[in-house]
Amino acid sequence: MKHKSSTVAALTGAAMSLPAFAATQPAESTISVSLSQYHEADIPSDKVVVGSNERYDIEVGKFKLVTPIGADWSLTVDTTRETMSGASPWGTLYGTTGEPNLIMSGATISESRTSLAISSTRYTDKASYTLGVSKSEENDYKATSYQVSGEWDREDKLSTFALAFSYSSDELSPTDAVLYGRVPEANQRSRSISGSWTQVLSKNAVLQSGISLTKKDGYLSDPYKLLDVRPDEKTQWAVSLRYRHFYDNRNAALHLDYRYYDDDWGIDSHTIDLSWHQNLGVRFQLVPRIRIYSQAEASFFEAADDYSLPRDQPQSSDYRLSGYGALSVGLKAIYKLPAWTVSLSVDQYRSDERFGHNKSQYEHPALLDFTLTNLGLEYRF
Amino acid sequence: MQLRYIRFKAMGCPCEIRFFHHDDAEAERLADICLTEIRRLEAKYSRYLPASVTNQINDAAGCDPVMIDPETSALLDYAHTCFNQSDGLFDVTSGVLRHLWHDGLLDTPPPSEFEKWLAIVGWQKVRRTATSIALPLAGMEIDFGGVVKEYAADATLALLSQEGVRDCLVNLGGDIAVLGRLANGQPWEVGITHPELPGQVIASIQVGSGAITTSGSYERFIRIGDKKFSHLINPVTGIPADNLQSVTVVAPKAIIAGSICTIAMLREQEGALDFLNSTHLPFLSVDKLGTCHGSLQKE
Repeated sequence: MKHKSSTVAALTGAAMSLPAFAATQPAESTISVSLSQYHEADIPSDKVVVGSNERYDIEVGKFKLVTPIGADWSLTVDTTRETMSGASPWGTLYGTTGEPNLIMSGATISESRTSLAISSTRYTDKASYTLGVSKSEENDYKATSYQVSGEWDREDKLSTFALAFSYSSDELSPTDAVLYGRVPEANQRSRSISGSWTQVLSKNAVLQSGISLTKKDGYLSDPYKLLDVRPDEKTQWAVSLRYRHFYDNRNAALHLDYRYYDDDWGIDSHTIDLSWHQNLGVRFQLVPRIRIYSQAEASFFEAADDYSLPRDQPQSSDYRLSGYGALSVGLKAIYKLPAWTVSLSVDQYRSDERFGHNKSQYEHPALLDFTLTNLGLEYRF
Repeated sequence: MQLRYIRFKAMGCPCEIRFFHHDDAEAERLADICLTEIRRLEAKYSRYLPASVTNQINDAAGCDPVMIDPETSALLDYAHTCFNQSDGLFDVTSGVLRHLWHDGLLDTPPPSEFEKWLAIVGWQKVRRTATSIALPLAGMEIDFGGVVKEYAADATLALLSQEGVRDCLVNLGGDIAVLGRLANGQPWEVGITHPELPGQVIASIQVGSGAITTSGSYERFIRIGDKKFSHLINPVTGIPADNLQSVTVVAPKAIIAGSICTIAMLREQEGALDFLNSTHLPFLSVDKLGTCHGSLQKE
């Protein structure tokens, strides 16, 4: 039994694999550069016992090149340079009011991170295969990772299956280790497998479902915290649904994404992303977006560091392991010229313990609010 | 920005390409690229050129499989999808039925003739792999006529787009692919010929980026006695389509619009309208009585 309304979708799928418009190997080279400014709001000074209440400012510069090589290969080179300055939370203790307060580092932290990722993709009629390697370096952190992935189109061109493996090996060498009694050197590894299925539902709608599993082991604690003991293994998995619907009558597309995450540290989270891509004329696009996030706290989360516990018993007062939620709203404007695309976006992120579906007992004093501004430029040749 | 207008004949039809470009030399080069691409596809798939891919495949009918390139394979995949989506009405092996219905016939062909030609029609009989095709019966033929002109219009438009042209129209014998708009910001406008009054426009349609194609029995037909028959023949019954006089469809690509038109023309009775409505694409159909249907008639 055929669904007649799928005829156009079936024909579109088959037509899209014709060489004239198959979205396979990129036909042109693209260079894109972007500059982002990430600004974390200050922590109210009454919540800081020691240290600076000024948090991170990060400036990020990105450069990316995608270029075809020969008849069926492409090369992608991606570099990022980040410079960070500000203070970060060192620990937590109960203050005079009985609520947790923060011990912060001084505002003198100033460091930079450089990363380089290179990948190459081979395209065949019905599949593409990618091999990639990336390196990231900071003065106290080195990471190397490798990725292998494949994408296969089904015979009817209406669905695509993708599978990816990645392995990463990270080396930590915290600064001032002797002075502050930090671990001088440590390693962690991460292995991950992910799969996705993309299905064209109609000429205007696409649904992608994905699943991923990641296993980490090694030193997973934060070496800069005064007291932070985390298990040396972590298994995490996530499922996601991504839906795209183009509305002819509005000349706009709806993107609706949902992700569920769960790990064996007791954290689970829900993320909903909603954005509306409105075309205005042929050159201009405006994208308002909203993201809602909610997570439950880790089983070993402590509102304040507990020095009475044995040192091998897991505990952490890191706000990222607390139960909280976040709301992020943003607006992106994109202007397209034949060879150039310019984009400007601003996102405002606010986290609050009350947004969480399984909130912690106290709101973590270090919960983040930040503003992210991005200017991007892309040139095709 | 100056409007460039090129007229030429290709694939047996009058064709035109319009696009905006400020530089004369560059415009000429672009026109050249387009014509080269159209001639390439014409030479590759023409039934009239002995060395064409079409004839290589047809000449080997009843013999060994023929190796095919990825482009041909993708076109056959597309034809396969059309066959499935039309319950077998859109069949690239139905070209031999032109021997059954040809100009100069005085009457409907006898049943024996039907049997003879229908026996070598049927996409389901074709053996395919990704890199080869075999027509199992001697005399069997495939004909890319139903897809290549539309595909060429899309491919030409894609070429212009890749070259940075943002506003252009490619019209290959009524299969029209459109990108962008006119210099004054208005969409491109396409006139649809009245099926009963050749030369008269039944509707004028504004097309944004996308394609519009028309299939009609008025432009290509077979004359038997004083009756006109469509060149589109039902591959199952062997009878020429006579339900609609013409149908025009707007779709994202000319190749899609074209196959929707063909399938609609081949459907019988209400099946044609039901099918067109089910696609949710803008269309205009004119039935035997001259009645118009579809969302395009309002424009």
